[in-house]
Amino acid sequence: MTDAPMKLTVVGVETPKLRKQLISVVSHALLIGASILMLYPLLWMLAASFRPENEIFTSTSLLPSEWSIDAYFRGWNGLRTSFSVFFTNSFIISILSVIGNVFACSLAAFAFSRLEFRGRKLWFALMLMTLMLPYQVTLIPQYVLFRQLGWVDTFLPLVVPKFLAADAFFIFLMVQFFRGIPKELDEAAMMDGAGPWRIYWKIMLPLSTPVLATAAIFTFIWTWDDFFGPLIYLNKMSDYTVMLGLRTFTDSTGTSDYGGLFAMSVLSIVPIFLFFLIFQRLLIEGIATTGMKR
Amino acid sequence: MSIQNVASAPPSAEAEKVSGWRRIWQQDAPGYLFLLPWFIGFFGLTLGPMISSLYLSFNHFDLLTAPRWAGLDNYVRMFTNDPKFSASMRVTLFFVVFSVPLKLAFALGVALLLNRGMKGLTVYRSLFYLPSLLGASVAIAILWRQIFAGDGLVNKFLSIFGIVGPSWISNPNYSLWTLIVLSIWQFGSPMIIFLAGLRQIPQDMYEAASLDGASKWRQFWKITLPLLTPVVFFNAIIQTIEAFKSFTPAFIISGGTGNPINSTLFYTLYLYQEAFGFFRMGYASALAWVLLALVAFFTAFSFLTSKYWVHYDD
Repeated sequence: MTDAPMKLTVVGVETPKLRKQLISVVSHALLIGASILMLYPLLWMLAASFRPENEIFTSTSLLPSEWSIDAYFRGWNGLRTSFSVFFTNSFIISILSVIGNVFACSLAAFAFSRLEFRGRKLWFALMLMTLMLPYQVTLIPQYVLFRQLGWVDTFLPLVVPKFLAADAFFIFLMVQFFRGIPKELDEAAMMDGAGPWRIYWKIMLPLSTPVLATAAIFTFIWTWDDFFGPLIYLNKMSDYTVMLGLRTFTDSTGTSDYGGLFAMSVLSIVPIFLFFLIFQRLLIEGIATTGMKR
Repeated sequence: MSIQNVASAPPSAEAEKVSGWRRIWQQDAPGYLFLLPWFIGFFGLTLGPMISSLYLSFNHFDLLTAPRWAGLDNYVRMFTNDPKFSASMRVTLFFVVFSVPLKLAFALGVALLLNRGMKGLTVYRSLFYLPSLLGASVAIAILWRQIFAGDGLVNKFLSIFGIVGPSWISNPNYSLWTLIVLSIWQFGSPMIIFLAGLRQIPQDMYEAASLDGASKWRQFWKITLPLLTPVVFFNAIIQTIEAFKSFTPAFIISGGTGNPINSTLFYTLYLYQEAFGFFRMGYASALAWVLLALVAFFTAFSFLTSKYWVHYDD
């Protein structure tokens, strides 16, 4: 980078090698600059959560003058109910959702990709159409239904739909993957007298761990992040998820404890960040092959 | 997204003999059994609720008393006598029209840069993707509210240059732009899809074009962009539908109000207020159906016009 100005002078000469190097330097500089600009807010929030309270709004630097974890203790117990409860609730809802989604969506995907039955094309087309449906269209009757069932203020409205494969996106994801598994395997198993269930359980699922893992991770992240569902269905603070807890924090403490708010915000994205660190290849491949919204 | 054709076995003499019911049990039942959870969900949570929300949209309904028939009242009120509806529609369309193209332009620009065989591609790709993964979170909305506050990070930087910035989130001229910036910040996932699309373009096309003396600029317009149009199309549809449905950032940044002066009153936020703030569930259902009509119209329009600009090689 230091000799960049020198290279600038030779651009006119069109030495292909030098020119190529220059372009590479400029590209890297652009990309590094963009990365810093994009990640700066996240790093600043991380730094702010470790800063003494009086320093939060005066400093733009990424290093606190002195490190303090006070904000984490203040934030954790900053509301009537502690964040341990919110984190437990979020974990329960997310893990149940993962189990439901992986199981119900893989069953449906197996039927769509491997079984012959009348009406399959019609149902598949309808399933694809639900992908585009804005959830607001079903929101109010669903709410009325769950209310009549007495499920408001329980986790059921958030979890049961996952066991009914309501998230069609994952069916589509799995269908794409299942189609890549050679059909000869099922046929050989069928010759040996295996029924559809055995083929599903003993052949398809074991061969599909990458897509099942991708679905599981995205389900976890999306459920963990979900704000709208809990906002509508959970009214008691003891049922709150982390996201609802954070929102209450912004309402109730107003502008008083920003350190605590940032500390809890940081903690709320730690699980997502861990998934990102460990499974980034799987996540990125999942997006590249199927095109996901996030 | 065609449905895979599976060659069905020719009807053998044996199959002809088995009775109709038996055939149903052997051929159709497994498929329907495997689909059972999905069927319950489809009819109970999607199709049924869709029909009843269409019905509710012609009623006054407050959740506690039985729905009262209202005819077209809800729709008439919406289009003739509801300033908040028109405000929310304007806000949402503005958001869609600016955030989606800008986000896609960033995604494509960075993807093109990365696709030049850059060293460290995977590192950059991951770094740029991270905001997409975190972006919908409440934590990020809280952070955004701070960044663009009067005493926030942006103004701290501006003050270095002696500029006194406004309080971006509480100024109706800028508040919506902070949400658009938040959306652009999450360009990582369409970028990854663009990268995957760029890899599909055969390298020898560029080599041939170079031999013919075509400049890089010309190669981009004549090769890269035409061959990438299916991916552009796909990304545009997904991102537009997502933009129409966006809720959490506007809710958190405005504290659920859509203020200042309704400048961040996203359509979904208004619908939420009507349904769960005022319990006007019939009216909210009508709002939902207008949203559906809007999304459906947009999608149909895109598909119909796609044959004029999306390049399919067949």
